[in-house]
Amino acid sequence: MSKNININVHHVTRVEGHGNIVVNAKNGKIEKVQWQVPEAPRFFEAMVRGRSYEDIQVIVSRICGICSITHSFAATKAVEAALGITVSEQADAIRRLLHYSEQLQSHVLHIGYLAAPDFFAAPSVVPLVAKAPDAVKTIIRAHRVANAWSDLIGGRTTHPVTIKPGGFTKIPTEKEFRQLQETLKETLKDLGTIAGVILSVAGNIPNFQRDTEYVSLKQTNPSAYTFYHGDIVSNDSKGKTTPIKDWHKVTNEYVVAQSTAKWAKWHRDAYAVGALARFNNNAELLTDGAKKVAKMFSLEKGCCNPFMNTVAQLAEAVHVVETSIQMIDELLTKGLKTEKVKTSPKAGKGSGCVEAPRGILFHEYEFDKKGNCVAADICIPTNQNHANIQKDFEKFVPEIIDQGEDAVRLKMEMLVRSYDPCVSCSTHMLDVQFIK
Amino acid sequence: MCSLLNKSPARDIIVLGIGNPLMADEGIGCRIIECFLAQAEKYPSVDFVDAGTGGMSVLHLIANRKKAIVIDCAYMEMEPGAIKKFQPEEIKTVKKLAHLSLHETDITKVINLAKMFGQYPKQLIIFGIEPEIIEPQPALSDTLNAKINDYLAAIAEELTI
Repeated sequence: MSKNININVHHVTRVEGHGNIVVNAKNGKIEKVQWQVPEAPRFFEAMVRGRSYEDIQVIVSRICGICSITHSFAATKAVEAALGITVSEQADAIRRLLHYSEQLQSHVLHIGYLAAPDFFAAPSVVPLVAKAPDAVKTIIRAHRVANAWSDLIGGRTTHPVTIKPGGFTKIPTEKEFRQLQETLKETLKDLGTIAGVILSVAGNIPNFQRDTEYVSLKQTNPSAYTFYHGDIVSNDSKGKTTPIKDWHKVTNEYVVAQSTAKWAKWHRDAYAVGALARFNNNAELLTDGAKKVAKMFSLEKGCCNPFMNTVAQLAEAVHVVETSIQMIDELLTKGLKTEKVKTSPKAGKGSGCVEAPRGILFHEYEFDKKGNCVAADICIPTNQNHANIQKDFEKFVPEIIDQGEDAVRLKMEMLVRSYDPCVSCSTHMLDVQFIK
Repeated sequence: MCSLLNKSPARDIIVLGIGNPLMADEGIGCRIIECFLAQAEKYPSVDFVDAGTGGMSVLHLIANRKKAIVIDCAYMEMEPGAIKKFQPEEIKTVKKLAHLSLHETDITKVINLAKMFGQYPKQLIIFGIEPEIIEPQPALSDTLNAKINDYLAAIAEELTI
């Protein structure tokens, strides 16, 4: 095997930035290992300045086509904190149901379209169709249900239109909730099938360990495996939680030469967010079905193999579906009420936080007395993972360097994909040539 | 879309606007949908959907339709503001994907996936519109803005089976 390696996975298209992977090794000695990230959606912070508190969600939902519901909720919670707006118990429950739909959408997409091709040694989902057609069909069916679920509550599959400060403009009927519940019971079976398929190729999940700080939300009183409520916790914070309003003390964003996206660190020089972080901080609160999935893959609390993030997503997919089936019962037992929401502008500053499928997300806004935004600050989960990906690279590459350039490149790409990053989602145009 | 949950049966035709209205001409698809939604009563058999940057959601939205029309900003080596109607078979994509993230999408690949699973609509038409400006700004360029009515007229001709 050659002792010289030059990897430069450089992806910069005309306007969509991507992460770049760089490795140089000479005579078996590693000279450079870098995760370079040439973009961040910071311009959205400038775009909301001067806009009414009622418009913020509509704008920031466009930050991302996969996490549009999550950005909507982080923003709406921040607006509500700033203006002192309260949300009813019913609206809170329906919001969590909508948020769960996005977790399912995104997790199924990541497991099926990005991670499974790696585990099946297929270059992408298209060739995977030939290798495992039934598995892909099941994944598509589960993804379709998740999309329809988002559409039902959010009024649109992507970029929801029913969310507003204080509640919703429209909610589904009792009949629609019951239909959703019945559909989700079928989806649970599909998720079992998907878990079985992934288990059959789990031997291809690299066994890489690096002691890592994991940061996520934690909800107490009542305790719950949370994506929406709670305070910030890490496995280094000795059980102590940090209130959302103090999120800057957690992220400590800083600039590095190799990236235009900001990086983050808390107790150590890097930390990880996402499904594995949530699992490591809250695993005992998962539903029974989700715990069963984790057990199938021997995923246990304290796992520090980043490749297992995909398995944690699988467990979470089961968790959100099981929890939602139960929540719909509770919601309908209480009876759906028509709620009118009225808010008025005032000056204030507030922070909002929810878990995106790929990790904890922070939004913060300040408003003048007319309710117009004067300052905004957003910290996305992928930025919080960049430093951790770099630290993983630094430990991982020496462990695999003898496997040769192609294997090193593939495994580094797999590692990045396991974080389920958001590096290019504000534009989606076509780039085509006509066949002559 | 919601036919899966029996909210309402899917209509025969769907028009999808793809893009981001906060990235100047990248939002042309969404803007066209907004214009059609304002006159949706004229088209009872058509669903108009702003699909934003949802990517794979397109796969589900076009499934089992008699006709799907996709409107997207497209680099086609034409004059800014030019509109061109084509079918997927007439083009090859030159978009480079890193395959590192779910967040990059090439709609032509999503369309191919629909074909592989027999969920391709009976007819699929793409309207590509050549951008002038792609950068963070919440408005179209003057060039594209001046041609909105031309775009609507061209697309309206396709809103029948």
